[in-house]
Amino acid sequence: FNIPINIAVEDRNNTGRCSVDTNRIVHIHSVIILRRSDKRKDRVEISPEQLSAASTEAEISFKMTGRPMRVVGWYHSHPHITVWPSHVDVRTQAMYQMMDQGFVGLIFSCFIEDKNTKVDSFLFAAFNSVSYPSRYDRIEIPIHVVPHETIGKVCLESAVELPKILCQEEQDAYRRIHSLTHLDSVTKIHNGSVFTKNLCSQMSAISGPLLQWLEDRLEQNKQRMQELQQEKEQLLEELAALE
Amino acid sequence: MCKRYSKFISSLTLSSFCKALFAEGFLLGEVRQEETVSISDSQISNTEFLQVIEIHNHEPCSKLFSFYDYAGKVNEESLDRILKDRRKNVIGWYRFRRNTQQQMSYREHIIHKQLTHILGVPDLVFLLFSFISTANNSTHALEYVLFRPNRRYNQRVSLTIPNLGNTSQQEYKGSSVPNTSQNYAKVIKEHGTDFFDKDGVMKDIRAIYQVYNALQEKVQAVCIDVEKSERVVESFQADVNKLKRQIAQKKNEKEQEIRMQQAILSRQMPTDSVEPMFVPRMSYTGFAVEGCTLEDSNVSDPPPPYSDFNTSTHDSSGSPGLLESSSIFMPRPQAVGSSSYVSTTDYCAHEM
Repeated sequence: FNIPINIAVEDRNNTGRCSVDTNRIVHIHSVIILRRSDKRKDRVEISPEQLSAASTEAEISFKMTGRPMRVVGWYHSHPHITVWPSHVDVRTQAMYQMMDQGFVGLIFSCFIEDKNTKVDSFLFAAFNSVSYPSRYDRIEIPIHVVPHETIGKVCLESAVELPKILCQEEQDAYRRIHSLTHLDSVTKIHNGSVFTKNLCSQMSAISGPLLQWLEDRLEQNKQRMQELQQEKEQLLEELAALE
Repeated sequence: MCKRYSKFISSLTLSSFCKALFAEGFLLGEVRQEETVSISDSQISNTEFLQVIEIHNHEPCSKLFSFYDYAGKVNEESLDRILKDRRKNVIGWYRFRRNTQQQMSYREHIIHKQLTHILGVPDLVFLLFSFISTANNSTHALEYVLFRPNRRYNQRVSLTIPNLGNTSQQEYKGSSVPNTSQNYAKVIKEHGTDFFDKDGVMKDIRAIYQVYNALQEKVQAVCIDVEKSERVVESFQADVNKLKRQIAQKKNEKEQEIRMQQAILSRQMPTDSVEPMFVPRMSYTGFAVEGCTLEDSNVSDPPPPYSDFNTSTHDSSGSPGLLESSSIFMPRPQAVGSSSYVSTTDYCAHEM
């Protein structure tokens, strides 16, 4: 699928679930981006409620598309760090595999720069876990991305969902702080300014570039439609000549 | 005062460069200078000039060799056709390759020199993307590096991608600094109320939330337009593919007809003439997959090995499956991301 990489966030716990057809081969068709319950940069937490909500989402998707879908994996991001799963990631994956043997884990590593060569990288990897008597180890599993000329509806919807989720997280954090009654006015003004500042960051770093990308994509598609229309007319003439 | 030409930084908004196996286009943006003044123990005022290259946008080429030939000679007319009125905004160009080293090829150097001269941009940059995979296909990497080939030294430039930064929200304060000063309390109470509305909510928060909401509504609206346009492009592409198949079939049928006529003629000829019998060729209709653009890609990929990939009736055409898109893989003796990996593919073979 095609999610713009410029919306990856700094924190590690940009998490989500993958809804997939059931088969021996796991086909990943869409993702559900989750709100983070713990925003510390080295934490990834997915609650049972979120797991249940993701399953509900998969059922809704089945009703809309007619394709049987279920949750078959989870993903999270590793900003500035290696793509390999940590021991916590491997343990978490192992726990998911207890519920579903075919559950797959994906990790996206971004904002990686080699200072010497100035080469930047964006990586992703798929893994499973295998358990031993006193530990868990990762198993690398192959993943293939099928290139497409066009972008699917579910991918676009996921992309525009991210700024909403980030804003909701910010609102939750502000409400929790705002509910404290012992704060003086200066502290309340400070907290309000933090909220404003964070929302501005989200708009300039996420919503703005996303909107620009969408507008550019629309323009490119209009151009492409014209080219295809011309090509179609030429082909029709060629076909008529062959009749 | 010391003036030093320090370093480049560039801000880049990456969009979906990765749809094609090989792709190229132009980078649009602006170049500006920023002056920073710093104080050190040895100097009271140290001025540094930073040249900032901002990449705002890109203009993709519909295919390779759209503005140059196999010898690398740039065609200015084709260039103008691609760029139109955006020519003055060009600050560089980009190329996307698979399984190659992060080095400019000889042809790219030649093209770059010509573009520098034609576009009149002395410090034209080149952004190279490379997609590589581990031998077992479990890890994939998109590597990118920005070059400024017209410089003799420091030809590689650091890229900065604006992002959200740390969102751990540790800036909210859960407690106030204790203060028993009555004057402090009085001043804050008197002037602090201006910040809040009658419900005790900060006015700024309502205002910024309105801005955010308006922006999000716009994002959703444009997204709907994009989704519609994607389906139209898909449909047009399917029509074009269908017509191409029909034309190919017609041509095959005509060829078959000609062969059969020749076979008949040769049978009617006298027995002492020796002519080989022609076996008519079976016609090939190709895959009958509507809406799938894989087979009509400019790059000849092998057909997908998995059969369950019909996207004709559903909107999942943008969704991936676990289908093999490339048969060329890179063994990685070191961790993915290292620049000194060994390539098993012929570098020139990918310099299309």
